[in-house]
Amino acid sequence: MNRMLTKLGKLHLQNPVTVASGTFGPEYGEFFDLNRLGAYVTKTITLHPKIGNPPPRLYETEAGLLNSIGLQNPGVDGFISKDLPLLKEKLSIPIIVSFSGGTIEEFVNILQQLEKQDGIAAYEVNISCPNVEKEGIAFGVDALVVYELIRRLRPLTSKELIIKLTPNVTDIAGIARAAEDSEADALALINTLQGMAIDPLTGQSRIKMGICGYSGTGIKPLALANVFKVAKAVQLPIIGMGGICTWQDAMEFFYAGAGSIAVGTGNFINPRACMDVLEGLEKHLSYKEITLQDIIGKVSL
Amino acid sequence: MFNRILKIKDIQHLNDYYFVLCVDIGEPAREVKPGQFFELKRPDQLFPMLRKPISVYDIQGSMVFLMVKQVGKGTELLAQMQPGRDLDVLGPCGNSFPVNSGQKAVLVSGGIGYPPLFLLKQELGKADNSVYWLHGGRSRIDIFHADEIWTDDGSARHQGFVTEGLFKYLEHNQPDIIYACGPRQMLKTCHQVAIQYDIPLYVSLEEYMACGIGVCHGCAVKVKSDNGIGVTYKTVCKDGPVFNADEIIW
Repeated sequence: MNRMLTKLGKLHLQNPVTVASGTFGPEYGEFFDLNRLGAYVTKTITLHPKIGNPPPRLYETEAGLLNSIGLQNPGVDGFISKDLPLLKEKLSIPIIVSFSGGTIEEFVNILQQLEKQDGIAAYEVNISCPNVEKEGIAFGVDALVVYELIRRLRPLTSKELIIKLTPNVTDIAGIARAAEDSEADALALINTLQGMAIDPLTGQSRIKMGICGYSGTGIKPLALANVFKVAKAVQLPIIGMGGICTWQDAMEFFYAGAGSIAVGTGNFINPRACMDVLEGLEKHLSYKEITLQDIIGKVSL
Repeated sequence: MFNRILKIKDIQHLNDYYFVLCVDIGEPAREVKPGQFFELKRPDQLFPMLRKPISVYDIQGSMVFLMVKQVGKGTELLAQMQPGRDLDVLGPCGNSFPVNSGQKAVLVSGGIGYPPLFLLKQELGKADNSVYWLHGGRSRIDIFHADEIWTDDGSARHQGFVTEGLFKYLEHNQPDIIYACGPRQMLKTCHQVAIQYDIPLYVSLEEYMACGIGVCHGCAVKVKSDNGIGVTYKTVCKDGPVFNADEIIW
């Protein structure tokens, strides 16, 4: 029996292990069979190509990684003409396309273009990137704006709309409720926290843009708390992420209420991290003679 | 490309800052080219979590030699390694220097820019090229064997920047190609000199990296696009580390 089956709204996944947008690419096919993932999530695409932020863009800090990539991507046209055909050729698992916009009209425009393509299983609506001024996070911090955006996108597709939430808000449950009320299908959380690092000897910011996104092991407790809060507030399925590197990390997210998980920064540390998580989960569930569905949200306090 | 835990065959300390690690990577060693690098870290340490990109210095059979300079926590931990200990090795990463044949080549290195040019020099020799190598560093501690040596503080051979040596060399010689690896400012000056003498220049760049395989776009370098009209970023780890210097926006 497959103990790992899980659902993401209408979408059935063979297993709950997915990847965090922006931390994964077909390059990892050098290290394992990509089709063993539960689903593949693309880097976030925008309407027009973005060259990204000036370097330095990376800095490893205590228990985590700072990044300031700035949604570098070829734009929706480049994605459709080059990246998507390549992904469709390589992958037989569900492809989830992540996208973001600077205005509601941009989100609408991108979704309309993507809807004309086949081979896309679901969308991740990224309203939470901390590294771009206009796109993303401006939307993710205001429940009314989230509601208005998803109400506009909802009639345009029958596919899953997964909303990617930011932890950089006072009330993440309120944002999650707005997504549920506007008929989103699922939630993905958390995106990176705002972070910063400075050279103590020179005063120079380690990252050119100053404030950037903080991810990795150090954010796991915060991510778990946010998943737990959101799972209590809404019925929507949750893709949990934030510092997951091992199968034990993943188990914590399932207990907190996530039905699937994503590995992000963990991929950079261990290129086989997704497979190590997957194989560890299979072994553990089998040893305990339980299924994944038995434990989702079953944290005991 | 592979990611494996390998035993360290040997570690040779050249001085207080520089050392050479040797690992047996087996069959893939045949495919490693000058300019390529491996990402290394200690599997027994949680911090730093990211591997450090280290250029290939030499290859002997299936043995790969990686020359490292201690600059931070990651390289400091590597320096404490002993033969027989485990090393996390990912690679070979990146592109390589173009190697032509029957040409007159000049190599310019600064400090830890030395190792990739050491391997390149051997390949150039095999392909019947003549090579003249200028190497520079802050002081004698940064100095390794080359045809011409420069130090900022004058503690070994000529005092001054290695790029002064390049300039003087080009006043009397007409090489076909220049290869350089070293600090950004040194490479920038090499490019100005190369433009003046109209000689093609290939540089190997260094950047902070996370994935090392072209996924994360963290190691960005600003380059010209659309036939020089536009600007974009390329990855040092996958598109590079070797670039035609004319492509880069210095």
